[in-house]
Amino acid sequence: MNVTSNNGPSVVLAAGLRSPWVRAGGVFRGENAAHLGARLGRELLARTGVDPATLDEVIVGSVGPPHDQANVARVIGLRAGVPWQVPARTVARNCASGIEAVTTAISEIGSGQGSLYLCMGVEVMSGYPLLFGDKMTNLFAGLMKARSLPQTLGTMTKFRPSFLKPRVALLEGLTDPTTGLIMGKTAEVLARDFHISREEADDFACQSHLKAKVARDKGRFKREILPHLPLRARKDKGSVQHDDGIRDDQNMKSLGKLRPYFEKPDGIVTVGNSCGITDGACALLITTEEKARELGLKPLAKIRSAAWAGLDPARMGLGPVFATAKALDQAGCTMKDIGTVELNEAFAAQVLACARAFDSAEFARKHLHRDQAVGELDLTKTNVNGGAIALGHPVGATGARLLLTTAHEMEVGNHELGLATLCIGGGQGGAVILERMAA
Amino acid sequence: MIDLSGFPLPENCPEVGACIRVEQPEPGLRVLILDPPHRKLAVLDLPLLRDLGMAIEEAEQDRDLKGLVITGRTPAEFAAGADIDSIASITDPALLERAVQVAHELFRRIENLKARTVAAVGGAVPGGAFELSLSCDFIVANDDKKTRIGLPEVLLGIVPGWGGCHRLPKRVGLPTALPAILTGRLFPAVKAKKAGMIDRLTKPEYLRRVASDLAMGRISVKKKGRGWKGWLIDRNPLAASLIASQARKQTLAKTHGLYPAPLRAIDLVVQAPRTSMKQAAVKEAKAIAELATSSVCKNLITIFKGSEEAKKLSKLADGSSPVKTERGAVIGAGVMGAAIAGVMAEKGVAVRLADLSEEALDRAVHEHRASVNKKRKRRRMKPHEADAALDRLDPSPGLIGFGRSQIVVEAVAEVLDVKRKLFGEVAEQVSKDCILATNTSSLSVDAIAETLPHPERVCGMHFFNPVRRMPLVEIIKGEHTSDQVVAQVAALALRMGKTPVVVKDVAGFLVNRILGPYLDEAIRLFQGGADPVHVDKLMVNFGMPMGPFTLLDEIGLDIAAHAGQSLFEAYGERMTPSDGIGTMVKPERLGKKTGRGFYDHPKGKGKKAKPEICSDLAQFQSGTFAKSLNDQQIIDRLVLAMVNEGARCMEENVVDSASQLDLATVFGTGFAPFRGGLLRYADSVGSAAVVEKLEAIASASDVSQRPGGRAKFTPAALLQQMARQGRGFHDPAPASSTSTAPQPVGGPA
Repeated sequence: MNVTSNNGPSVVLAAGLRSPWVRAGGVFRGENAAHLGARLGRELLARTGVDPATLDEVIVGSVGPPHDQANVARVIGLRAGVPWQVPARTVARNCASGIEAVTTAISEIGSGQGSLYLCMGVEVMSGYPLLFGDKMTNLFAGLMKARSLPQTLGTMTKFRPSFLKPRVALLEGLTDPTTGLIMGKTAEVLARDFHISREEADDFACQSHLKAKVARDKGRFKREILPHLPLRARKDKGSVQHDDGIRDDQNMKSLGKLRPYFEKPDGIVTVGNSCGITDGACALLITTEEKARELGLKPLAKIRSAAWAGLDPARMGLGPVFATAKALDQAGCTMKDIGTVELNEAFAAQVLACARAFDSAEFARKHLHRDQAVGELDLTKTNVNGGAIALGHPVGATGARLLLTTAHEMEVGNHELGLATLCIGGGQGGAVILERMAA
Repeated sequence: MIDLSGFPLPENCPEVGACIRVEQPEPGLRVLILDPPHRKLAVLDLPLLRDLGMAIEEAEQDRDLKGLVITGRTPAEFAAGADIDSIASITDPALLERAVQVAHELFRRIENLKARTVAAVGGAVPGGAFELSLSCDFIVANDDKKTRIGLPEVLLGIVPGWGGCHRLPKRVGLPTALPAILTGRLFPAVKAKKAGMIDRLTKPEYLRRVASDLAMGRISVKKKGRGWKGWLIDRNPLAASLIASQARKQTLAKTHGLYPAPLRAIDLVVQAPRTSMKQAAVKEAKAIAELATSSVCKNLITIFKGSEEAKKLSKLADGSSPVKTERGAVIGAGVMGAAIAGVMAEKGVAVRLADLSEEALDRAVHEHRASVNKKRKRRRMKPHEADAALDRLDPSPGLIGFGRSQIVVEAVAEVLDVKRKLFGEVAEQVSKDCILATNTSSLSVDAIAETLPHPERVCGMHFFNPVRRMPLVEIIKGEHTSDQVVAQVAALALRMGKTPVVVKDVAGFLVNRILGPYLDEAIRLFQGGADPVHVDKLMVNFGMPMGPFTLLDEIGLDIAAHAGQSLFEAYGERMTPSDGIGTMVKPERLGKKTGRGFYDHPKGKGKKAKPEICSDLAQFQSGTFAKSLNDQQIIDRLVLAMVNEGARCMEENVVDSASQLDLATVFGTGFAPFRGGLLRYADSVGSAAVVEKLEAIASASDVSQRPGGRAKFTPAALLQQMARQGRGFHDPAPASSTSTAPQPVGGPA
């Protein structure tokens, strides 16, 4: 959607904060989406001084919200001190759920529904459950129905130890049900399509860690990270200050030792050149330029355009190319105008494939119905602070972080325009172009 | 009809029959509503009992009566129990004994009614109100948070005297009844139901209907019987005496034999299952007659009334409530600040706790979570309530995000410029209505307020360490502090479960100013050769929660020395600190926090380890004068040092009344509650005797020769004046009225 052309109000990203990105099953394993999300939301509201009663809605993107927090957005809103009167909804677009929260707000603002939204992405992948399989579920159902002891015993004799094999919600969630491919395998498809070698992928992964380490040490992430003391942290542990997936000593040698994870023995995607399973939350305040001024806020960036696109689910990793093409057209600019890019690193092979597709006129003709390439994706301008391979990828939250990191990077690097884009499991891409505000 | 002759009656005593409304909503059912026109909240005073007697008499004569319900004006208010004003005012044991017997007989008649009787209760159902309910066949109670049921008499120095000591154990068994009566705890509805204290819970809207149905036999409830346990435990003399001896031992460990009521309650309760209600009436009446006329009971009642009075501080002059504090901030995540923020968060205020140190913030959050999770585990909080309590404390690295705070409490270093600067920065962020409260204990509130915009919203909110346990908050009203601000802060303190006292902005405020001379005197006694263990024991037996040397170790020797010094700077000669503590203070010897002070505090053994007196104390003892003092002289020196300073506080109107000063000493220093507080103790000694003793101490050779000794013990002008007039702190001053408000005479009884 083109945010500014139709004389509607211009939408701004007024402020944002995120938690550290933490490897799932690690220090955040005692966390839950509502507690983590509410902490971020409260802090953002407090720091901006926004009266929560003046919010028009709380919109939270989450891929796997906890089963005991139905409409987790509502739970987060209430726990963040947002009064009952303000509605809340949870939105999902798989890996782009965090951006979906923002584009939902953009539509609402565009259609005059409101002007002030608390948008978040929240994902605590540590909390994804193990499930009982069908057979075990049926057995339980049978036991519940049994009215007499013989019936109960009869049902119980049907039990087999194999029934106890759990279904892992995480793995099943990461598998595309229409193609049967787990996400890693879609990256392998791209590696074959675009002739990407293991070395190239490992090198990219290595760079991601290196850039992230430098950014962390420079204090670049202090702008966006709210240190967080996780629930059930041990008494002698302090709050988590940094993203904990960054490997300071990552090198080609150790990466080279890893075996392909998804396609043995000839695949190139390893756990080392893929993003990790991660917990995290990110909160953004989305409003109009006018409202921001009214509230005395100094917005981080204006949202110039935002676009969604669909593609072959087996090649979902190319989503950024499709979506960016649309977003650029809407914004009326080209890749050359973009000063900084955050392109989510689901897999190193996938990012590299995107780079080649961006630059390929043939790809553009074949898939995008345009004669020229979308434009060069300058990897030196892309993910300058590292990406998901180092930081991690809490699926529902990532989109919001991409926007926040881009907005800050435009200020740090003095760029006029920034692009945040990502691929989406199931075959979609999302892209948002941000514009720096006049000081 | 109950004969009221001889009893003191309230001035506005209503006409006969006015206190009970009788409704007959259907044939065979009578509903008695406790609705005394002369009371805001129904109290079981004599007019009400008289009218209840009449209503019961009518019921007895009604042959068609099938059910009888006793209930309050609304489902949420039943009655507040017996009339403690009259208990406090009756001094004739015979009269009291008769009063108890009268109620007993009335309750026995309710018990013996042929109709099914149901008490339908809600809100607070303490003491006499619960005892009335116990005489009914069934008790139905509101299933809500406001309902609290129990027998708190022991806390007032008496025992449940209207059958409670007998009917409760008969109903729920000894193992439940005894602790319930000894702790005086008011049980929430669900817990009361679980313990068998009541028979049925229902929502307030259905209370009357369910009670009526029960009375008319349309529904039934299963009575929780004791079964075999009744025979094996309650009615077994062997088991009962075992329980009694255990309970006695525990009680004595807590009360040091200074409080007779719990022991008396044990005797009554243990024998209850084998006692008829007729005998019970005689026994309870006798116990009440003895206990209620004692000074212990009268003093405990004044303290109770004082704390009830303190609740009124949270109201504005016109009786309205100030703005409710929903959002606050605390600056400084040290021991005090962290605990203040934690308690606020637990009690429903959303708090930002600011500190520059990330570690301090983490510690504070850990501590808060531990406290909340403990309550969650013990089911004192439901999971969702605990989650909300956790959510209400947000750490803030620095002074950011304070904009919407309604109150900011600072608990940072005790440096005037630091506090001024801090509040200056805060003032730029917050609205002009945001209260700026300082937890200072040694700086002047006015001095802090001086440089701030809108000084009317600046006040002191002085908590005591440890914040979670100490029940007093001194609210320091500076020169400019508005009444609105005082009321709002008092309301917040009450919400935090604390008792507020409003104090003038003088050095040390009230409690520390009074405690200073006491601790200083203790150190001088120690230097003079007194044995700290012995002195501590004397003061514990006097009724203090701990002796002065244990207290010094708790406070920290360095803190105590600093406090003493600042009192000296403010008040001069009479507060001259002893040099004793200075020589003792070393980095490794600061009291409990460093493991050593007067006592050795073994580390890592938890609370159970008993501290031993240090063996190297002799080096600090230079004199021998204290060895020639007898026990009473030691107590006098310590306590009268406080009394004399207390008298000066009264002269300067540091607090509004003697009873507020008493309340502050009880809640702030733990001063023996059964003595009714510092000034009431002085009154019991007699002002003339106090003056005489003070003069004797002042002229004792060791005191008169030391710097400031004479000034310290020379009786305050007010004391001398009172001694001449032959009155105490609590007696109204003759002719020209002083700040001591005359006590309302008579009361409704």
